[in-house]
Amino acid sequence: MGLNVMNKVMSNKWIIAFYVLPALLLIAILIFVPLILTGYYGLMDWDGIGEMNFIGLENYWNALQDDKFWESAWHSFLLAFFSTLSLIIYLVISLILASKIKGADLLRKIYLIPMLLSSVAIAQLWIKVFNPTNGMLNHILMAIGIENPPAWLAEPSVVLFAIFVPILWQYAGFYILIYYAALKNIPESIVEAARIDGASPLQIAYRIKLPLIMGVVKVTIVLAVVGSLKYFDLIYVMTSGGPNGASEVMASYMYKLAFSSNDFGYGSAIGFLLLIITLIVTVIVRKATATKEEIQY
Amino acid sequence: MKRVGYLILYLCLGIVALFQIFPIIWLFLFSLKDNREIFSGSPFALPSELRWENYLKVWDSGIGTYFWNSLWITAMAILLTVLFASMATFAITRMQWKLNKLVLGLFMVGLMIPIHSAIIPLFSMFLNVNLIDNPWSIVITYTTYNLPITIMILLGFYYTLPREIEEAAIIDGCSINRMFFRIILPMTAPVMSTTVIINMIYNWNEFVFVNTFISSDMYKTLTVGIQNFIGQYMTDWGAIGATLIISVLPILLAFIFFSNKVVEGISASAVKG
Amino acid sequence: MKNKKAITLLATILISAMLLLAGCGGESASDSDGDSKVIKFMHLWPEGSSKTHNEIVNEIIADYEDENPGVKVELEVLSNEQYKDKIQVLSTSDELPDVGMTWAAGYLQPYVDGNKFAPLDDIIESDLKDSFVSGTAEAYAIDGKTYGLPLELNIATVFYNKAIFEEYGLEAPKTLEELEQVIETLNENDVAPIALGNKDRWTGSLWYMYLADRIGGSDVLTNAINRTGTFEDPALVQAAEEVQNLVNMDAFVKGFNGLADEEAKSMFMNEQAAMYLIATWDLPNYTTNEDVPQEFRDSVGYFKFPTVDGKGDMNSFVGGPGVGLFVAENSDVKEEAKDFASFFVQEWGEKSVTQAGVIPATKLDAGSLDLPQMYVDVLEDLNSASNLTLFADVQMSPDAAQVHLDMIQAIFGNEVTPEEFTKAHEDALSAE
Repeated sequence: MGLNVMNKVMSNKWIIAFYVLPALLLIAILIFVPLILTGYYGLMDWDGIGEMNFIGLENYWNALQDDKFWESAWHSFLLAFFSTLSLIIYLVISLILASKIKGADLLRKIYLIPMLLSSVAIAQLWIKVFNPTNGMLNHILMAIGIENPPAWLAEPSVVLFAIFVPILWQYAGFYILIYYAALKNIPESIVEAARIDGASPLQIAYRIKLPLIMGVVKVTIVLAVVGSLKYFDLIYVMTSGGPNGASEVMASYMYKLAFSSNDFGYGSAIGFLLLIITLIVTVIVRKATATKEEIQY
Repeated sequence: MKRVGYLILYLCLGIVALFQIFPIIWLFLFSLKDNREIFSGSPFALPSELRWENYLKVWDSGIGTYFWNSLWITAMAILLTVLFASMATFAITRMQWKLNKLVLGLFMVGLMIPIHSAIIPLFSMFLNVNLIDNPWSIVITYTTYNLPITIMILLGFYYTLPREIEEAAIIDGCSINRMFFRIILPMTAPVMSTTVIINMIYNWNEFVFVNTFISSDMYKTLTVGIQNFIGQYMTDWGAIGATLIISVLPILLAFIFFSNKVVEGISASAVKG
Repeated sequence: MKNKKAITLLATILISAMLLLAGCGGESASDSDGDSKVIKFMHLWPEGSSKTHNEIVNEIIADYEDENPGVKVELEVLSNEQYKDKIQVLSTSDELPDVGMTWAAGYLQPYVDGNKFAPLDDIIESDLKDSFVSGTAEAYAIDGKTYGLPLELNIATVFYNKAIFEEYGLEAPKTLEELEQVIETLNENDVAPIALGNKDRWTGSLWYMYLADRIGGSDVLTNAINRTGTFEDPALVQAAEEVQNLVNMDAFVKGFNGLADEEAKSMFMNEQAAMYLIATWDLPNYTTNEDVPQEFRDSVGYFKFPTVDGKGDMNSFVGGPGVGLFVAENSDVKEEAKDFASFFVQEWGEKSVTQAGVIPATKLDAGSLDLPQMYVDVLEDLNSASNLTLFADVQMSPDAAQVHLDMIQAIFGNEVTPEEFTKAHEDALSAE
């Protein structure tokens, strides 16, 4: 009888609506309407200022054949790949911090500091670190005997990887914060029981803690992938996608087209494709990380 | 043997900590230099003289108003985001209805929008409802644009809540609203603190929306204060550093406060749970 | 039932909140209340970074409001990049300020095509007759109508560190060969010859433009852009070759393609590089700016871009007007806005040069003003200029300008051949 009451209450449509609608309405109006409009602008020949002319799918068709777009997409994929990989490091750090070692609390706070800074500050810091003549990195490299260290942000072959470093570093705090909260959410009794059974800290981490926070880990993979595919901030400030497109990503390419080249229609088409690509990749990632018995959420 | 292991572990952790704490020290030094020193010397060179006048300059530029705006806009948006996101996540994960996966999917798609394709449509929408140059346009936008990520983070935690608690509450005749606000919300306090921190950082540092939707000085926020020092041909980097330091302090304090909550919250809810 | 009520309540609250906000928003949107009229004016000189510019603007506004009771000027100030983005967003919703700032030629084109800016020929013909240096207002003309009132006039010259030159027994070069010898000597002595921040790309474009001008004459580039000529002109190919020659002999500082102009400038100002090609908006740094050590300011000189293989006219300059004022076509207070813009330009001229070190686009009586020697020299050069070629990325449409700028980075980075470089330009320009 109790369960009946429960089911009745928990499937009351009015209650559900009350809980979902505020968020849903906001998203629908402020995110979905602009999204649809972006797709619509993509059908136009429009400089973003004057008259719009409907040109059908021409922008989308051009984008699919645009080498620069695919190159920027490739860079975004690389960023997504490395972001996902770096989650492992963050996870390991979080596991260490959450296993009651001395000073963990202080260390955790320190680790999160870079996350607090705005991208403006982080970009300036790393521009200075990477400066070919006066930068810290090259000073160190020359001090240890490397004669001609690269000009990190100027050489097309290294710029992309040079710029990934601050991006990954910037987000370390974000993921450590989430993992840490998830680990702290594990009931102490489970860990204690395993310890009494003689499990080593490593075994506890791998066999018990990791499976318990797997749901959270999967969410962070999605966040990392989506965040990387639409990433813009540091790249725009540090290299503007240059030299000659060597560090261009989808979002910076879109921005340049829409706001610098005054090709708003084409830029919107790229923006919409960015969304579609992100959607596809996300679905693939979720399928790949889904386990059979798990509820699909 | 074990001691050596710990030593190495702490060494590694210490090195990482050094990396993470550098930017704040760097930023502080940066804020006391002038352009010549900033560009020529090593980032960690001490300033030849302490240029506190950078802070004076920033203070004179009317940063007080910006500060206050940042504060209340950020706080208001966080409150709305976390409340609405918690409610939505609760309904999606704990209640029984057919469309829940579809709705969750919609929230996830919301995560994917690149903001630069949103600003022109948003501007004309706000213009139509007369919300341009009104700080509420910023509050609403921040609230909305942080909803997807907040929901995603809350999600994993809501799934792990034990059903028994709800059953017990309902059978005891507790209304659903009472259950949500009195039982569920306190139980998720640690993850809420996490989302508060994340929301806070995003809102506090955002500037594209403010720049676009706000034109009166009286409504602008701290990030716009930085723009004040970026010139057509010249930029006063020392003053920008000072602005950044001023703007990072409150967020640092708030961060320490909420990050303690991440831990405290769990022990509190563990007692109740 | 209870929940039904809750929802209705929530909806009511949301809607009434929206209405309330809408009501509040209305106040600041009014352009005119009663007799007093409000002119909205946007500029890009924030107080923090451009103090003197900012002050002059405020003075001019105060004067204008004094002379025109009943008119109020409402200000919005943004920094450069944010300004450009915002103007574009505003114009899509037809919400441009009544008076604002624009750049010449290519930047202007979409706004003129979209009928957003008002033609200003009437005030140029009356109030401002003969007050602009020739060639400046023309840069804002499209199809015979002028849409902007220029405020600044800049020419690019090579600034150099006389102390460094003296140390190695060097003299300001008059030909490209001499310049190359200077570069070699400096390189032999481990001094970086030329500061260049080519992340910003228009900086490298200055080098290319000057080489093209010297090799092919002052109109070869302009003709290629306005389509009376072609970009595959041998002179334009050769100019690209010369760029690569300079790059290959290490003429520019290390990693220039990843440096912002500002970083390059600081290398020059910290005496880490001997030369720096930049426009005259930088003059205050080398003359009046108290934040720069006197000793350095005294050691800076400039020379005109050298000739190439005996060709070229050293009095032909790359440069042009920077920002100018526009008046919005659909402004509610168009007449007042035009009047204000005209007033602004007249007051701006002398004030800007004496207080902010800006070379204005309006004619100056240099003799009557007490100016640093370098200003006097530059003004003299301007008077004897045989030609002024507008910055290439300003001349081109925004679309083609992006191709040009990307290609500049590519040619400086040795990523494309001179032929590919010119072909990419030709394709982009002929596609329009």
